[in-house]
Amino acid sequence: MKRQIAAVGLIVIFLVVLIPFASSNPDGLEKVVATYGAQEHANLWSGLMTDYSIGAVGDSYASTALASVFGVFMVLAAAFLVGKSLAKKSESTVRQ
Amino acid sequence: MHISDGLINPQNPANLATAVIMWLVSIAFLAWSWKKAKSTYSSSITALLAISSAFVFAAQILNFPIAFGTSGHLVGGTFLAVLLGPYAAILSMTIVLLMQAFFFADGGIVAFGMNVFNMAIIGGLSFFLIKLFMRKSDSKSRFAASVFAASFLSVILGAFVTSLEIAPAFAGGVAVTVPSMLFYHALIGLGEGAITTALVTSLQRLQPTVMNGLALLKGRGKL
Repeated sequence: MKRQIAAVGLIVIFLVVLIPFASSNPDGLEKVVATYGAQEHANLWSGLMTDYSIGAVGDSYASTALASVFGVFMVLAAAFLVGKSLAKKSESTVRQ
Repeated sequence: MHISDGLINPQNPANLATAVIMWLVSIAFLAWSWKKAKSTYSSSITALLAISSAFVFAAQILNFPIAFGTSGHLVGGTFLAVLLGPYAAILSMTIVLLMQAFFFADGGIVAFGMNVFNMAIIGGLSFFLIKLFMRKSDSKSRFAASVFAASFLSVILGAFVTSLEIAPAFAGGVAVTVPSMLFYHALIGLGEGAITTALVTSLQRLQPTVMNGLALLKGRGKL
């Protein structure tokens, strides 16, 4: 368990340290959309923290870092639940 | 490579139908992956699944610059496939995409089926490309080269399918989207290959026990 906590800690540190160095240039798909002028429509859903930022936090680094770290824990929790339910099913097949 | 809903025209029936079909195709692959993942692993992969998914989510936030004012980020499908095997890798990437779409509007809801196919399914199935390139070899350098090639190809293939899916939004259609998407993603794919190979070879040295996918490749456990 200690090693798993250490791994999560490393991911959070890695993210918080590297966020200021991440490129803000458009990615490949966004570049293609911008260059060739795609016909764009309104998005259905604009998310709770659009573009990895929290509106209430003024500082842009803090806003992105907090939103990103929140996302890491949400992914961690969701994947943990999926892993648990995968394992539960395999135990019941073993018992049969 | 995340397609936003803005690129899907709800007034264009063919465009909307493609989105629905990709949802159905992705659901079918997810059901298959779930079933296979339940029977494949002999011990619990819960901790590894959670941590590697969180890592890929973090890595996808960190865009690296390529050229021509454009950036890319690790997709991580091949990385997950080496750690988790193909089925859990598909599930893992789908979780990442779901959280990105729900919380951060990074990738659309209508387009979610497309994004799952382009990144999670193609990414997870790149496992079989590694298997194909490895044949029966046990060589570490051949493994590294296979991982590089599979991760590069997973990005190229994902970008190719993406370029077909987004083509209706462009006046020039596929004649515009296919070459431009392939051009930028060839560069991003080199980054993907380099990062994935570096991660996988260091984990192989430092934490060989986490390589469930590699164990499956070597025939330990049923695929």
